[in-house]
Amino acid sequence: MTPARALLAKVCGVVAGLALFAIMLLTLSDVAGRKLLSASVPGSLELTELLMVVVIFAALPLVSLAGEHVVFDSLDRWLPAGLRRAQQLVVDLLSAGALLGLAWLMWVKAGEMAGYGDTTAQLKLPVSPFVYAMSVFCMLTAVVHGILMWQPVVHHHVGVDDAGSGTA
Amino acid sequence: MTEALLGFAAVFALALLRIPLAFAMGAVGIVGLGLLRGWAPTMANASQVVYDTGFAYTLSVVPLFILMGNFVARAGLAHELFRAAYAFVGHVRGGLAHATVLACAGFGAICGSSIATAATMSKVAYPQMKRLGYADYLSTGVIAAGGTLGIMIPPSTIMVIYGIVTETHIGKLFAAGVLPGLMCAGFLMLGVVWITWRDPAAGPAGERTPWPERWRALGDIWGVVLLVVVVLGGIYGGVFTATEGAGIGASGAFFFALARRALSWKLLLQVLVESARTTAMLFTILIAAMLFSSFVNFTTMPGDLKDWILRQGYSPLMVVGAMMVIYVVLGTIMEELSMVLLTIPVFFPIVTGLGFDPVWFGVLIVLVVQIGLISPPVGMNLFVLSSLLKGVRLSEIFRGVWLFVAMLVLALVVVLTFPDLSLWLPSLMR
Repeated sequence: MTPARALLAKVCGVVAGLALFAIMLLTLSDVAGRKLLSASVPGSLELTELLMVVVIFAALPLVSLAGEHVVFDSLDRWLPAGLRRAQQLVVDLLSAGALLGLAWLMWVKAGEMAGYGDTTAQLKLPVSPFVYAMSVFCMLTAVVHGILMWQPVVHHHVGVDDAGSGTA
Repeated sequence: MTEALLGFAAVFALALLRIPLAFAMGAVGIVGLGLLRGWAPTMANASQVVYDTGFAYTLSVVPLFILMGNFVARAGLAHELFRAAYAFVGHVRGGLAHATVLACAGFGAICGSSIATAATMSKVAYPQMKRLGYADYLSTGVIAAGGTLGIMIPPSTIMVIYGIVTETHIGKLFAAGVLPGLMCAGFLMLGVVWITWRDPAAGPAGERTPWPERWRALGDIWGVVLLVVVVLGGIYGGVFTATEGAGIGASGAFFFALARRALSWKLLLQVLVESARTTAMLFTILIAAMLFSSFVNFTTMPGDLKDWILRQGYSPLMVVGAMMVIYVVLGTIMEELSMVLLTIPVFFPIVTGLGFDPVWFGVLIVLVVQIGLISPPVGMNLFVLSSLLKGVRLSEIFRGVWLFVAMLVLALVVVLTFPDLSLWLPSLMR
């Protein structure tokens, strides 16, 4: 893995992982607080929502980087290597295009929300930065597909390689 | 009708090109709706769908259950489960294989993923079976098939996703999976009996465990029992919602892993990132499926098809049976979750239109996913085993799993003909 890829994987991984851990602790303390002390964590619902966006979209570049998207790869073994390579180029180009389209869509949406000054209901946190973040992570994922056009990865099924790594 | 068929054809064509299925579904959904309805409203709709799915409190149930499963796998609770199961059934013919099924069922009660269950069990059960000279086709077949109990016995990632897209009560779905899940376990054990009857050398009996030791082994699984009672009991009892239960379960599993010194900072981060990645992969498909279904729902296809089927006067059970045949056949070559999400917008209105309970249909969906996960040539659980057990050839795994595929198909027929098996427990819920 090139240093740039490793750095991207590290940063996105830490951001998404910590957000997920935060959701877990938030849910625990919210329920514990409500059942035991009859005092819930203020705004825990909306914090979870904001963090969910971070988990999903910060991990998106990692999914692409690891070649973990669900693909129909049963035809692979019947294709000659040259054709496979060309196919890889087209697929990553189209994937990058789709992601850029989505990034643009969310950028526009974020602009609108910033214009209205949308905030969360309870804590009054501004929402638009998170929608901008969605857009930026989609762009990053598009960049990943741009890189993959020249340095392809083998598709791997989610959980399979991970399963090999630990769970002893 | 034509537009929707073209849309489906386009998704399949793009998928055959090897475009990730999520991008294919999303793009076809947006373009299709744009052509039908105009671009401005379509763009507004699409960004709203993405936004709503991202910022959804209830959907945090998905990553939290995934996280719980991964912590539980790391904590090593599976070893105690297997040991306890072995203590009771190890001495019969094929005893280790029976113990594997039982341990899978127990593990399924704290883990909602078939892949994670199969992967964990392959580490715990396979070496033991190898040691006693079990034939590889039996040991891999039973681990692959037993792993699928992870998604029928609650919690279950597939049930959660089905519940989200069809707006079906997740707690009721969980309750509905309990009896069919236990029945599936029973059927798999019958499969083991059949195999070891035909080929006794494939699964020799182990040593008998004396009773005091059996009780001790049973006592060692208190950790699993505690998690099940708190999480599932809390959800069924209405103490907390499925989302809250998932958060508590994940935290509980985290503390277990911590207490057993199974976590370092590095491993913790690894578990978190792994779970986040799986989440992102699932949500990409989920969001794309929602975009695609907002296109399909705008066409007349779901309504037309429903009207046509209702007019034909087929028996309702035959219609659902036909759907199941389609799923089982498609499931041999397609990735199961995307197969379900792709077809739900069309099938679900028909099923509810025929007057069936969405909870029951959810259980059927889980069963066809179970079957798809272990039916060659494309079965995720089989790939997991072949990548984890380097010494076993994929063809050997394929050979052993067919009988278990047949057993699960039998279970499907039973669940199809006796809806009460699924619906009795949820009917007791408040």
